[in-house]
Amino acid sequence: MSQRRREILFGVFLLLPCFLFVTAFAFYPIARSFYMSLHRIVLTMPALGKPYVGLDNFKGLLLDRVAHRAIINTLLFVLISTFFEILLGLVIALVINKRFPARGLIRASVLVPWAIPTVVSSQMWRFIFNDKYGLVNFLLYGSHVSSYRAWLAEPFYAFLAIVTADVWKTSSFAALIILAGLQLIPEELYAQASVDGATALKRFWLITFPIIRPAILIALLFRTMDAFRVFDLVFVMTQGGPADSTNVLQFYGYKKIFAEGLMGYGSSISVLVFVISFVVSLWYLKMLGKGVFQGVMG
Amino acid sequence: MKRLLTVLLTILMVCTVFSCKKAEKTGQITIHFVTWKPNVPEVWDRIFRIFAEEHPEIKVVTEIGPHSSTAFHDMLTQKLKNHSSDVDVFLMDVVWPSEFASAGWAMPLDGLFTKEEQKKYLPPVIDANQYRGKIYGLPLFIDSGMLYYRKDLLDKYGFKPPQTWQELVKQAEFIMKKEKQKGNLIYGYSGQFKQYEGLVCDMMEFILSNNGWILNPETSEPGIQLKPAVEAVRFVRDRIIGNIAPQGVLTYQEPESLDLFVQGKAVFHRNWPYAWRISNDPERSRIAGKVAVTRIPHFPGGRSFSTLGGWQVGISAFSKHKREAWEFARFLSSERVQKLIALMAGKAPTRESLYHDSDVISANPQFSQMKDVFLRAYPRPKTPLYPSVSNVLQRYFSTALSRRDSDIQSLAEDAAKEIKSILALSNR
Repeated sequence: MSQRRREILFGVFLLLPCFLFVTAFAFYPIARSFYMSLHRIVLTMPALGKPYVGLDNFKGLLLDRVAHRAIINTLLFVLISTFFEILLGLVIALVINKRFPARGLIRASVLVPWAIPTVVSSQMWRFIFNDKYGLVNFLLYGSHVSSYRAWLAEPFYAFLAIVTADVWKTSSFAALIILAGLQLIPEELYAQASVDGATALKRFWLITFPIIRPAILIALLFRTMDAFRVFDLVFVMTQGGPADSTNVLQFYGYKKIFAEGLMGYGSSISVLVFVISFVVSLWYLKMLGKGVFQGVMG
Repeated sequence: MKRLLTVLLTILMVCTVFSCKKAEKTGQITIHFVTWKPNVPEVWDRIFRIFAEEHPEIKVVTEIGPHSSTAFHDMLTQKLKNHSSDVDVFLMDVVWPSEFASAGWAMPLDGLFTKEEQKKYLPPVIDANQYRGKIYGLPLFIDSGMLYYRKDLLDKYGFKPPQTWQELVKQAEFIMKKEKQKGNLIYGYSGQFKQYEGLVCDMMEFILSNNGWILNPETSEPGIQLKPAVEAVRFVRDRIIGNIAPQGVLTYQEPESLDLFVQGKAVFHRNWPYAWRISNDPERSRIAGKVAVTRIPHFPGGRSFSTLGGWQVGISAFSKHKREAWEFARFLSSERVQKLIALMAGKAPTRESLYHDSDVISANPQFSQMKDVFLRAYPRPKTPLYPSVSNVLQRYFSTALSRRDSDIQSLAEDAAKEIKSILALSNR
């Protein structure tokens, strides 16, 4: 056996455990969802059997106005929440990158929202937006409330509420990644620019931004993927209501599978979420590949 | 380091040996009981204690699920779908037996739960537990919608309990206005309008009391798109929500809506029988002694309807200890346990005899008055696809009520179409 063959074999051997793990916990469930999405499976009516129905579930999805609404809600949620998360993340990162007393402590505490389990923070936000004893109403109207707002009872505000909760929770994650990018910038560049008479704004656009661009893109990638899968916030705060204004795809799929027992139809929703995230991540990866590392790699 | 490890190992071994011994000594059989978070936990503690004393050979492990029926359903069915053997006995909402029977999750109880025994229960609850001629649950307590009101306030302004919804709105508006002039902020009505199962129960009462229906009992055709139903929904949106009820009721389940009432912030309140005890308990209520109860109002030309609710005890078809499970289920549905629940938690019994029990009636005087309401309480549609039907209804009602400018007629027609296509599946 040649040296090279042996090396390849050894490489395969090293990859095997990871491959098996991913197969069992990622490939198999995905394949299974695809399989189920092509069948009609109604758990509460085993007498119907599990007939193969081709693309019927997907055709149904095309005509399902609740699903349309869920797709629109999900896309809006992704766009709005990631936009604010990256923006706030950038601001936070720039602030905690500066030198000031107790910086370590501040940096650590910025991560607290991200470290709290989503179910807990969602419950907290549900209380904050509560109509009778919520903090928001207290701040706006005082303790002798006569005209309060039932935030989670109005479609528009309920949607804003889940966006707010998500932005609060995950901005710090974006900040962490962007901070890592910021720390790559050598101090001399700024010193040199100052000598050349560049203003703070110019220094940001000409030095900081190009260098942290890849970090921003990575944060964007993570946040987009994650936002597409939003579920726990909706589950705890609104259960998709009122009037379906916060019904997102994953929650709708969950309802179909777990509440209604429509395994086939529910799986077709999961497949849709998978395909959307897959396409989006491919697009991001292409962007990342297009020399965005230039700034770092020089 | 080594010594520490030895010590730890020894402790571990000792613990293992002890726990084995304990199980061996008593030879207990463990059964798992899936229940929800109770409103009055004391009564359940007592029930478990009595059972443990009388049946030392059976150990009951309880698993507590969420309070909301919808969330509890999702958790329980998840276990049953997986044929989990760690569910033996479970509580079933009144709308689940068809679904659980058709799916093969609940064990038919015909051999054990004799016809003779069934005759001792109120007829509507036995009917609710049957599916295609077999019985799948032991009725534990019955629920039906009731109208609670502030007797002191109605007396003060010279009102009689309202017979129609229009009267209710008028009285509520009047009292709200007068009380406001005195600086007392009070709402007229509180109920359950969040997008969940309770919304269907509340709305069904409005629709049926206007001579409408959800599914025609004979033809199974949806009736929500017809005039009486649409009118009733429009009335709720225009005259109740945001008018006599706070906008926030759109996020309320039972506990939140009861909370508003016991805080003295609502004149009328729709709830199940359990609210009687809580609203008259001075420790939990600011209006204890000022509460009275009557039947749900109706629209002119209609008659009062109450949604049938309540909980059953079912046994999992996948249980490995069916005999012990039956023993426990039978105990829960027995006369003395139902009496205990009626006395301590204010839940209405399903056994006919308890309506003549002087202890039960003196603790819950409203029961004797409500018995005919219970007997006439109206079941929700009976189909194994009920969860799907309910989701369509929840979505429709929530959309129609929370958007001021919604076109109720066309929303109702869309929902009716969806329900038809769901039910078509069961006719295949």
